[in-house]
Amino acid sequence: MDQVEKTLNQNRLVLFPADQLQPGERKLVKVDQIEIAVMNVDENIYAIRNECPHQGISMIYGSISGTMVTSKPQEYQYGMENELIKCPLHGWEFDLKTGRSVFSPNQVSLHIYDVRKEDENIVLYLRRSPEKVIVQDFSCNHK
Amino acid sequence: MGTFVKEKKSNEINEMNAVSLIDCDVHPYLSSLEELVPYLDEAYQKQLNIGKFRNEMLKNQNNGSFTFPMGRYGNPGHVLRMDAITPSGGIPGSDPKFLTQDLFDRYNTTYGILNIGHGTMGAYHNVNLAAAYTSAANDWLYDKWVESDKRFKMTMEVVPLDPQLSVKEIERIGRKPGIAGINLRVVNIPFGKRHFWPIYEIAEEYGLPILVHPDAENTAEYAPDQAIGPASSYIEWHTTLPIIAMRQISSLVFEGVFEKFPKLKFAFIEYGFAWLPHLMWRMDKNWKGLRQEVPWLKLPPSEYIRRNIRLGTQPIEEPYKPNHLLELIQMVNAEDMLLFCSDYPHWDGDNLKRLFLRFPEELKKKIYFENALETFKF
Repeated sequence: MDQVEKTLNQNRLVLFPADQLQPGERKLVKVDQIEIAVMNVDENIYAIRNECPHQGISMIYGSISGTMVTSKPQEYQYGMENELIKCPLHGWEFDLKTGRSVFSPNQVSLHIYDVRKEDENIVLYLRRSPEKVIVQDFSCNHK
Repeated sequence: MGTFVKEKKSNEINEMNAVSLIDCDVHPYLSSLEELVPYLDEAYQKQLNIGKFRNEMLKNQNNGSFTFPMGRYGNPGHVLRMDAITPSGGIPGSDPKFLTQDLFDRYNTTYGILNIGHGTMGAYHNVNLAAAYTSAANDWLYDKWVESDKRFKMTMEVVPLDPQLSVKEIERIGRKPGIAGINLRVVNIPFGKRHFWPIYEIAEEYGLPILVHPDAENTAEYAPDQAIGPASSYIEWHTTLPIIAMRQISSLVFEGVFEKFPKLKFAFIEYGFAWLPHLMWRMDKNWKGLRQEVPWLKLPPSEYIRRNIRLGTQPIEEPYKPNHLLELIQMVNAEDMLLFCSDYPHWDGDNLKRLFLRFPEELKKKIYFENALETFKF
């Protein structure tokens, strides 16, 4: 319910047709001064601020993977497959759904945006009304 | 291959334009040992299993063939930054032209000091082979990188297990323009020992500082031990690297290296610096009561450190309150000791734009280029 109300207060921005963002693909969306990375991961669409909260590195180059989830001493357990993006520099891990960091979820987060697939379009919801929007293709040599 | 988007933010460029910058730690990478074929005679090509002698048949078998001494600790993520893969999909740091665009143009870097990133044979058991590889790697770095862009300077590698061969190598190329220092890899002989003094003598004579950078720490048979035994993980290994620098600095000072070679500078790169107050205070305190063991020291140990030791800023320590880093530097008068290092393209590098934000302008200038100008040969 919260999300619906919040959404109603936001500006709806149709970015591009959904078929232009296939699984594994990413696009860079520049909304005024802000850069947003929009990505399709296994048919889930995510939008994140293209700036790591640590040293400002472009997150769009980040690998998407799982990680070793918190476990007991001397035990390993892999999980969260394809639910995390890692900063391409220092490797800080963030949950793509919530933006929260894995190492300190309540203190450190990556800013995320409300993005949806609606009527075969990728739609971004923003608090502010954007003046200028540029969409750029992006590719990198890793997942 | 698709189109690459690698735009620099305009404010990032403008902010940096006014600053002269010397980056004391930039890493070039060999794509493959095959790049060294033109620099090695057949006897060493054969031993390195490259060129016409290349034979992969038993390569993955135990004792099957030559294996380059790689670090035993695998980074669980990416040891090289993922935004630095070259436009053709190559290893970060393997393309000189792309590196100048991705790093130097972005930060308006005046000089970048190249310290070989793909590895060393400094602690390798076969010293003749290590020496041949080292000379070849030096020449490759000079030809491919230093001669390609005037912003590139380099440290030349030597053979820590063989000071006489090291001196010959320094005599061979140490005066070439672009050679800014000597990259001395750690082995299981402390740096203060007279074993190394022939290297220090010629280094001082040529005006070349000694640069020390992690690499040989866990790669080969003559690597130094890790004080209490091997680390279990990359995080444990990487976190405890500064112990090596602390141990080497104690050895250098107490053995009297800086009385014997007062103009020689040692730059410890990538070992951090927040441990400096502890080391200085402990050494000075001990010297007051135990100086008779090292009677050749005419100054408190901390003064030799301040005069002869330089420390790279990366990986920058991140105190809970950022201002404490500045206070820590002021606490031990380390203003003239710090050298800016990006460590590009390593995973633990620092983004200049986000560092030293609260530092006084005078100190920033020292860190950005003044201290480097006083340390390296340009």
